[in-house]
Amino acid sequence: MSLIKKAIDWGTRKSPWIIHFNAGSCNGCDIEIVDALTPRFDLERLGILQRGTPRHADILVCTGAVSLQTKDRLKQIYDQMPEPKFVIATGTCACSGGVFDGCYCVLGGIDRVIPVDVYIPGCAVRPEAIISAVVKLLGALEAQQKGGGKDAERRSDYSTVGREIQSFEG
Amino acid sequence: MTEYNRVVIPIGPQHPSLKEPACFTVTLEGEKIVDAVIGIGYNHRGIEKACESRYYTQIIYLLERVCGICSHTHTTAFCQGVEELAGVEIPRRAAFIRVLVAEIERLHSHLLWLGVAAHEIGFDTMFMYTWRDREAVLDILAELGGNRVNYSINTIGGVRRDIDDSLKQDILKMVDALEEQVKYYRELARSETTLAARLAGVGKLSREDALKYGAVGPVIRASGVDFDIRKVDPYAVYGEIPFKVVTDTHADVFGRTVVRVLEMLESIEIIRYCLENMPDGEITAKAPRRIPAGEVISRTEAPRGEDIHYIRSNGTEIPDRVRVRAPSEANWHAMKQMLLGQYLADVPITIAAIDPCFSCTDRAIAVNSGRETELMDWPRLRQYSVDWYKKRGIDVSSVKMPERRSYF
Amino acid sequence: MQNEEAIIQQLVEKFSLLKDKLHVPRAKRIVSDFLTREEFEQVLPYVREEMGFYRASHVLGTDEGEDLGFIYLLTNDEGIIFALKEKAPKSNPKISSLSGEYPSLEFHERELVSLFGAEVEGLPKGPPYPLPDGWPEGNYPMRKEWNQEYFDPHTMTYNPPAETQKKEAEKSD
Repeated sequence: MSLIKKAIDWGTRKSPWIIHFNAGSCNGCDIEIVDALTPRFDLERLGILQRGTPRHADILVCTGAVSLQTKDRLKQIYDQMPEPKFVIATGTCACSGGVFDGCYCVLGGIDRVIPVDVYIPGCAVRPEAIISAVVKLLGALEAQQKGGGKDAERRSDYSTVGREIQSFEG
Repeated sequence: MTEYNRVVIPIGPQHPSLKEPACFTVTLEGEKIVDAVIGIGYNHRGIEKACESRYYTQIIYLLERVCGICSHTHTTAFCQGVEELAGVEIPRRAAFIRVLVAEIERLHSHLLWLGVAAHEIGFDTMFMYTWRDREAVLDILAELGGNRVNYSINTIGGVRRDIDDSLKQDILKMVDALEEQVKYYRELARSETTLAARLAGVGKLSREDALKYGAVGPVIRASGVDFDIRKVDPYAVYGEIPFKVVTDTHADVFGRTVVRVLEMLESIEIIRYCLENMPDGEITAKAPRRIPAGEVISRTEAPRGEDIHYIRSNGTEIPDRVRVRAPSEANWHAMKQMLLGQYLADVPITIAAIDPCFSCTDRAIAVNSGRETELMDWPRLRQYSVDWYKKRGIDVSSVKMPERRSYF
Repeated sequence: MQNEEAIIQQLVEKFSLLKDKLHVPRAKRIVSDFLTREEFEQVLPYVREEMGFYRASHVLGTDEGEDLGFIYLLTNDEGIIFALKEKAPKSNPKISSLSGEYPSLEFHERELVSLFGAEVEGLPKGPPYPLPDGWPEGNYPMRKEWNQEYFDPHTMTYNPPAETQKKEAEKSD
């Protein structure tokens, strides 16, 4: 493992930058994400910073059932993010389409469009659940980095993380 | 000026901190906005069609998720509409609880707005303060409904949760502490000249335009129009509660801020009144499964303004047509009027000031007279705006806020 | 101060065609029956200029079987909602745009165009709203005959089963 790779891994693990995208949510989860960044929960104390542009972000925190109009934009944003990148589907809608499943302008969960690493159910998710998800993602990331797995393997690793967190009720 | 000097800047459709996407295209001459096109519809999900294939009770939970911030007001409008169709009268205690929750929701929504607006002008200390205060309100909502955001209080025929004595004490404690904070914000708005310099004269909307473009809620009240559904067409028990409709004549972003801050104080009074005068008794009345045929127009005063629901029943368990006119939908039309003639630096706060159920916009592409294309995003626009004012000696972030005790 | 009954009386005196077509289901509401386009356009200027309903909250579309219904929610200073209704046959769903008199209706009229397939004459040019880009033409999701079960959001195509297609063909024959 080269020194640069080590530095990047360390940076991703210790200070992941997140970007938030609303793919058709009711705003409930979105305000809870902002809540997680404000004084009571204060995700920033864990080194997690919110960024405005996808090019600076490691983790895409995505809310809402994907609507047809945001589908392409969601893909674009995902593509703009540098590797290694992770996706957290935040809220029941983002996991499965939730209450909007079956509406004609809704595709369903985020994983219909882009690969998802962590699912957080809840309507709306609580900030504690978001923090827990990020921490579990980072834990799994550390384990994977130590194991030195390839990118393809990493994806399958994260799907287990997802299942584990799915049982976490906000 | 020639066409060549015009710059078209599309802003959107994504925002780092909040809510729904939208896309604005503003055309500039120099730094002044001469045209604005608003593109919304990113969040069109097809809820109304979905309503035509679901039972009334299911629709309550669907409509609650039209907007996660003012979720209670949508279910109130829908439930009272269906109750009117079915001829069901809800128990008085239930009506009081509906009003109580609506006002608690108004507190949380206005605090949220105050924070977002402060963030847009670069006053992040205030942002953190208000969102911290908001947590206390959310705690109460969580205790009441079991959830922080979509708390599902309403059902057809009444409410689902009762308020016991310990919760009542908690609410009183919360509003006492919050009142102190809100009064402090009021003083800040009155005495802090930097804030006034940053907000006054921005996003002007005259009384005539406000009426013509159908603005609602704090936007129209800040333009001096005394229009509040709670007074104009009282629902639940608003008719018997003493409160005054807050208006302001500034007709700009400053006025909208003042109206929201003062409305919070009114809400606190309403909450106290409700807790004191709430009668004992049942909280639900029996409602039929099949709703008799007919149509109804139901409206409520959401934190953002007038919320209209049109419901038509055909005598079955499933409605024939449901239409929701959310308050932000009405305020979009006035948006263009507010933006015209403004500086580009005022765009973020002007858009935020209608408290759009969206607020979001991240990447923007600046197209320079069709020749150069440059990427511009909302944080950059916000930063540009903050810097633009700093250059002119208005720096809100330098405002010192005394340390205030947290009460949770 | 005008009350609902007085408003109705004044309107019926002025327009005999409105006789028995206006109702007051409750305080602060006036609801009309469906009017034809000619009747509607005859009544509207008077309602707007003389009766003080100079604000428009909304216009919503409904599916009335063979016709499309349009319900205008007009408000006056006392906060009375006047639901003035107009209808047009689905075969020729033409109505006039009111976005000149009531600028607050512009987005809602675009919605009528996209969701109901109404032809709103005189609506200023602008982006369609609220359906996504690439929505298949001729699909009006809020019409009753449009069944969302036959719509595939992934490919954005509408595929009704062959049987209904046949039935429809028979009907038109």
